[in-house]
Amino acid sequence: MAKITLSNLRHSYYPAPEKRDDYALKNIDLDWEDGGAYALLGPSGCGKTTLLNIISGLLTPSEGRILFDGKDVTDWTPGRRNIAQVFQFPVIYDTMTVYDNLAFPLRNRGVDPAHIDRRVQEIARLLEVENMLDRRASGLSPDNKQKLSMGRGLVRDDVNVVMFDEPLTVIDPHLKWKLRSKLKELHQRVKHTMIYVTHDQTEALTFADQVVVMDEGEIVQIGTPVDLFARPAHTFVGHFIGSPGMNVLPCELRNRGAFFQGSPVPLEGPVRADASGRAEIGIRPEFVTISDAGLDAVVVKVSDVGRHNVVQAMVGDTKLAAIIEGDVPHKGESVKLSFRQDQTRLYCDGWLATEI
Amino acid sequence: MQKRHIVPVLYILFLMLPIYWLVAMSFKTTGEILSGFSLFPQTWTLDNYRTIFTDPTWYWGYINSILYVSINTVISMVVALPAAYAFSRYNFLGDKHLFFWLLTNRMAPAAVFALPFFQLYSAVGLFDTHIAVALAHCLFNIPLAVWILEGFMQSIPKELDETAYVDGYSFPRFFITIFVPTIKAGVGVAAFFCFMFSWVELLLAKTLTAVAAKPIAATMTKTASSAGYELGLLAAAGTLTIIPGAIVIYFVRNYIARGFAMGRV
Repeated sequence: MAKITLSNLRHSYYPAPEKRDDYALKNIDLDWEDGGAYALLGPSGCGKTTLLNIISGLLTPSEGRILFDGKDVTDWTPGRRNIAQVFQFPVIYDTMTVYDNLAFPLRNRGVDPAHIDRRVQEIARLLEVENMLDRRASGLSPDNKQKLSMGRGLVRDDVNVVMFDEPLTVIDPHLKWKLRSKLKELHQRVKHTMIYVTHDQTEALTFADQVVVMDEGEIVQIGTPVDLFARPAHTFVGHFIGSPGMNVLPCELRNRGAFFQGSPVPLEGPVRADASGRAEIGIRPEFVTISDAGLDAVVVKVSDVGRHNVVQAMVGDTKLAAIIEGDVPHKGESVKLSFRQDQTRLYCDGWLATEI
Repeated sequence: MQKRHIVPVLYILFLMLPIYWLVAMSFKTTGEILSGFSLFPQTWTLDNYRTIFTDPTWYWGYINSILYVSINTVISMVVALPAAYAFSRYNFLGDKHLFFWLLTNRMAPAAVFALPFFQLYSAVGLFDTHIAVALAHCLFNIPLAVWILEGFMQSIPKELDETAYVDGYSFPRFFITIFVPTIKAGVGVAAFFCFMFSWVELLLAKTLTAVAAKPIAATMTKTASSAGYELGLLAAAGTLTIIPGAIVIYFVRNYIARGFAMGRV
């Protein structure tokens, strides 16, 4: 187990990158603390898998170093780094039995047979595959294959880090939930450093203590699930996390006050002195309410999502979502909307620009 | 018999007829074959087979054929496995063109290569050896094997390789102990096609051999001997020539179905 440090990491798939856009990863500086449960969250193609493959050593970064407990491992082979990686699609050795598959990473490192047996039995019990240990791995159902794949990642107790690359993509929804909680439980028991890559916010927020949000090869925000929800550092985080995502409303910045569709909007705190560029107001739908006074809006759509209603309304030419509990207006009705002041933030060029 | 069975039964009869005729002839005497039409052998004889198994010019034909076919299959697989791996896993300059060019090698008739091979092998002293025929057949078999194997390897996710590296495998160990067993169906199919091509190919095999490595198919083309026509003997030789192919097909029949399903073969 180790603390993993990524220092000034840049990676490009082109042999001679010139522009900033040539880089799949743009200057990553990050510490993964020993024993943490991390989620790496971001849309497809944002560089999550690239980052993971660099940590595991399958890719060599164009620039920058990777340190395990302060030791430079950038040039080490994946085998030498002593890590485990679970991929999106189940990877098992078809020609072996379930037991041999699970025992394999240990045997390959010359671990004592009695210890191997103990670990394999333990992992098999946790993943509920102990009744199929003697079966050939090739005949398993996809979800059992993926369980096995995850088991292979977890079976070694001396790994520096276990990495999961969207491991639940191929699993049925009801099993997803089960495996996810199993994984969380496992993490609490074994205390390995775990990095879980996903583009599904629910998976990230339920699994991780710390969520690292990436977009276009950059880390946008690192924080607990609560942080990310409550105070997104970037409009991307606000929009990506939450259902529906944060409302991002173009506004005008005058005398360090925000004006939306011509009317002033009270913000959570003062705007930073150096704030400039494209100004936007960020407000989560949870904190938009229908009231007697406020912005004039016309309801264009009401969707009942069970626990509450999502109301879509137009304010001038801007669309806005609100989560309303209780009585809902009808389509076409004129309403007045107000924002909760301590949840209303200003973003400049995408980045948070209000202080508290 | 139900009506819907009639067409398939007729078709199978149509396919089996020449084979039946060959087998029936192999148990007849040459005199009976030449004397006219008979559906079954009137006088059963095993003399034809006895001659083949006792006369060295006949049975060495089989041994020669099996030798160069085996050498060819081994060389083709040893070369094609790494090549197919490279095509399936790496992008390099001109990889698509090279892959296509490999296939175009199969488009030229074997006769085109008969003369250059004959001259080349005579010059370097390989003429009338098993290895000469095996190498000549590689020209056709390696591209085919690469093409078939590449299809099978494509269907194995790259993550298998990556997991093995993370598990601490070196590349050669991974390739031999994990990767090849994983695509053993593909290896079976590719080896089968190499075997079959080399087994049935006559022109190059005949051109490149004289006595020492003469294949069975070449022996069979001498229809007349000092004793006149020996049709019964030829029929027996033909029957025996079908058998190795049939045995190999039996072993790879399930894999071939899978190969077809994967869009290659």
